[in-house]
Formats: sequence, C-alpha cells, structure tokens
Amino acid sequence: MGEPIDCREAAARLQDYLKQELTPELEAEVRAHLERCRPCVGHARFEANFLLMLETRARRCGCPGTLRARITSILRTEMERG
Amino acid sequence: MAEPSTAGRAFDAEALPHLDALYRTALRLTGDPAQAEDLVQDTMLKAYRSWRQYRPGTNAKGWLLTILRNTFINDYRRRKLEPVATDLELVEPHAIYRAIEDVDPEGAFFAKIVDEKVLEAVDALPPDFREVLVLSDMEGLSYGEIAEALEIPVGTVKSRLFRARRQLQASLYAYAVETGIIPARESHNG
Repeated sequence: MGEPIDCREAAARLQDYLKQELTPELEAEVRAHLERCRPCVGHARFEANFLLMLETRARRCGCPGTLRARITSILRTEMERG
Repeated sequence: MAEPSTAGRAFDAEALPHLDALYRTALRLTGDPAQAEDLVQDTMLKAYRSWRQYRPGTNAKGWLLTILRNTFINDYRRRKLEPVATDLELVEPHAIYRAIEDVDPEGAFFAKIVDEKVLEAVDALPPDFREVLVLSDMEGLSYGEIAEALEIPVGTVKSRLFRARRQLQASLYAYAVETGIIPARESHNG
C-alpha cells in the first residue's frame, strides 16, 4: 500500500467502497483512512444511508398484475408456436 | 393450453422473477406507465426469442435489463440524448455532506422524503446519469454489468454514477430545505 490517502481522496471513493466496487488495494486504502478519521466515518454513514434509501424505494414498486398476466399469456402463445 | 416446453419452463423460471425490476426500470427510462408496459412486453418477447443466447449461470437480470435498455434506445427514445450537465465537474466530493453535517449528519432526511418525490428527482436527472443510477443503485447491477449493458468503459460508469448521485443528493437536499424537512441553516456564527 502506498501513501495514506487524505479525506478528499477518501470522500471521492466512499460510494464505490460502499458498493464493494474498489480493487482490493484501493479498498484497503479507504478502510485504513476510515480507521483513523472520524469525520469520514460520519460521511460514510451518510452515503450508506443515501444508497440504502434508493435501494428501498426501488423495491416498493413492482410490475402491475395485469401486465404480468398479459406477458405470461403472450409467452404461452409464443411457446406453443414453438 | 399446452404445457410449456423445457426451454419455456427454463425461461419462465429465469426471467419471470425479474418482471418487477424490468417494469421499474422501464418506468424510469420512459417516464410513462403505458410506454413502460409496452417496453416490458417487447423486452420479454425479444428475450424469449433470443433465449438461446443467454449463458446459464450468468446474471439473468442483467441480461434482461440489457435487452430492455437496448429496446428502449432503438424503439422508444424519440429524442437524441440530452446534453449531460457539465457544471458538476466542479462539484466537491464533500459538497452535500458538508452542507448538512451539523444538522443531519446521518442523512436521516433522505428517509423522510416521500417515494414520489424521490422518483421525481431521479426522473429529472439527465438520461445518461439516470440510467446508470437506476441500474446500479436501484436494481443492483455491478459496475461491470452496467458497462457491458451500455457498452461503455467501467470508468465511465463510475464517473457518471458519482455525478448522478451528487446531483440527486443536491436536488433532494434542496427539496428537504424547501419543505422544512431540514431546517434552513442559521446565519449567525457560534
């Protein structure tokens, strides 16, 4: 691992860190920064809440039953056609 | 009605569970429930007809969302992509958090905004930003899966996501201040 990263660099990578999209090396750098920087831990919590909120909102809306039935029926016809 | 064939059953088992995700994404892309329904129906028919191209064991949701997105681009989107906002280049990584850390450090205000307003704010994002945000943060595709679906580099996915999230945070923050969910910042010092 190279030089420790600063708050600005950590902040720029926080979301990717939370989404587990960093390379192991970058992830280790962010984790090391969070272990010694309380304000950035606060920021990480803020970003985590934001991402969780989006995920939760998405789940509340689903495919209407009428559409589901229509698609199932169209697929059946298509499948029978072979 | 005849029983579905083996291929048909496999398609049902792999594809039908993702109808909710397909519909939600269609709704965000088209902004219109009737168009979203047509888009999902077209997507499912196309997916069934190209089912042999699906590689078992890969992410069926990602495969279906790729078909949906391509169908949208080819058949539904009438206008060319709107220009992407560029002023966000200047946005500081800390911007929204810095504005709010004293009054609501955990970002509890996000949870207090009703679904409808959150989705309106998502819909107001530039199309390039909106699609990566929906695929990543609402439907849970990985950056790599999104890069593949959109045929863009992973680095582009990352930078679009970063800007999309900042822009969304900024607009939700503005809404929360406007409606009093977050108290306006006091102007005195100390």
